Amino acid sequence: MRLFQMQRVSAIALLIFLGIHMAVMHYPPWEIDFRTVVIERLSNPIWKVIDIAFLFFVLMHALAGAYVVLTDIQRVNAFKRVLAGAAIALGLAGFIYGTATIMAFQPPV
Amino acid sequence: MPSPLPTTAIVRVQRFNPDNDKKPYMQEFKVPLTSDTTILDALHTIKAELDGSLTFRRSCRHAICGSCAMNINGRNMLVCKTPLTRELDKKGRVTIKPLSYLPIIKDLVVDRGSFWEQYQRVKPWLIPPDTVPEKEFRVSPEEVEALHNAETCIMCGACYSSCQVIAMTKEYIGPHALLKAFLRVLDPRDAAPGERLADLAGEDGPYRCHTIFNCIDACPKKLNPTQAIETLRKLAQKQQAFEAERAERQKTLALQVKSEQ
Amino acid sequence: MYKSTGFISFVLRRFTGVVLVLYLFTHMLVIGSATQGAAAFDATLQVVQGPLFKIMEIGLLAAVAYHAFDGVRLLIVHYFNVIDYRKSLFYAAFAVAAFFTAIGGLLILQSLLYQA
Repeated sequence: MRLFQMQRVSAIALLIFLGIHMAVMHYPPWEIDFRTVVIERLSNPIWKVIDIAFLFFVLMHALAGAYVVLTDIQRVNAFKRVLAGAAIALGLAGFIYGTATIMAFQPPV
Repeated sequence: MPSPLPTTAIVRVQRFNPDNDKKPYMQEFKVPLTSDTTILDALHTIKAELDGSLTFRRSCRHAICGSCAMNINGRNMLVCKTPLTRELDKKGRVTIKPLSYLPIIKDLVVDRGSFWEQYQRVKPWLIPPDTVPEKEFRVSPEEVEALHNAETCIMCGACYSSCQVIAMTKEYIGPHALLKAFLRVLDPRDAAPGERLADLAGEDGPYRCHTIFNCIDACPKKLNPTQAIETLRKLAQKQQAFEAERAERQKTLALQVKSEQ
Repeated sequence: MYKSTGFISFVLRRFTGVVLVLYLFTHMLVIGSATQGAAAFDATLQVVQGPLFKIMEIGLLAAVAYHAFDGVRLLIVHYFNVIDYRKSLFYAAFAVAAFFTAIGGLLILQSLLYQA
């Protein structure tokens, strides 16, 4: 039940974040100019928070989804505790690494 | 003018005898065809006149016992109520295989062990309240109507054997048992909805359903296990509220009706 | 395999999900080069902005669009009783996903040609 709820909640959150991501990243002139647009935006703390939240929900949805896809197979389901542990570990590692990455963006000198 | 019905049909049946065969194979028979011939009639003709060793399950021959569910041209159906003419291809052939994803015992007979085990798992019986009425339980027509679909199920296995999740894991409870669980959870006379919903809250219950809808397509009684599963998912998330609602309902359910005489 | 629109939806949803998980980890490693300084980040990004990657981006868009709109279809099925329209809903989700993929794909191709 918890997995199902996590998937639904993160799915709805992702639809919102994906909308923001698409609107912000992909607008005329349709070129992703990293220097001026992206790095500048990521230096702004509000965008850092939005991206960290985006990262959180993506990891939740992706790892819960991968867990369900794998445990749907009867033979794999025997290892579900190992898989659950691995998913949680990957989630934590990914979240720490991703947050560090987002924090690394500083305004250009 | 429509072209006349051919007088014979070709029936391709999957055969497998564990004593002799390494793996299943297809065998063809020619059977007489009329507009009234059902696929079950064709199987009976083959067994009686062409090959007595053909083995299949059947009983009531009017779509109520659930014994004769098989896979015809890739779709599950009850052979006793399926006209042979409807399932013939352009060359006048029909392909009959046993229900999928279950071990084959012989020819068209499959081992339904996992099917029945999962059914038992949801406690498919009424758990009555402590106070049993002198005469009857007073249940409203609306409450009875809500249970109609789940009660109509004849446990034929067509849904179970069409479910892609069952194809991948027999640990999934299955649409048949979940429909019966729904029947018991929604029955106002049942005193243990909380216990039932708690049992279903794990990974192998309604949350393992991926809304593929094959069960609805396969059901010969046009039932809706997916809707029942969705309802169970919703109720399992509000278990305590539902339990409280049931306790409240049962206060007026087993009223002594002596005073109304 | 019991073939139906529900089955196709399920297989595509799983397939795009797996593709997106793989993309996620690649993407995190690519953008994660920022932790090694501006030079490393710039160098990594030069690689993934090449024409081959732009083409693959169209595939990514297709995967995201299908997965997202099929997911929306699932949310609708979960919250509303729409069993009777299950096939139409699937076709609608597929059509919307195809539409967004086409639009985005054309824009990506346009920027690719403009770049060249």
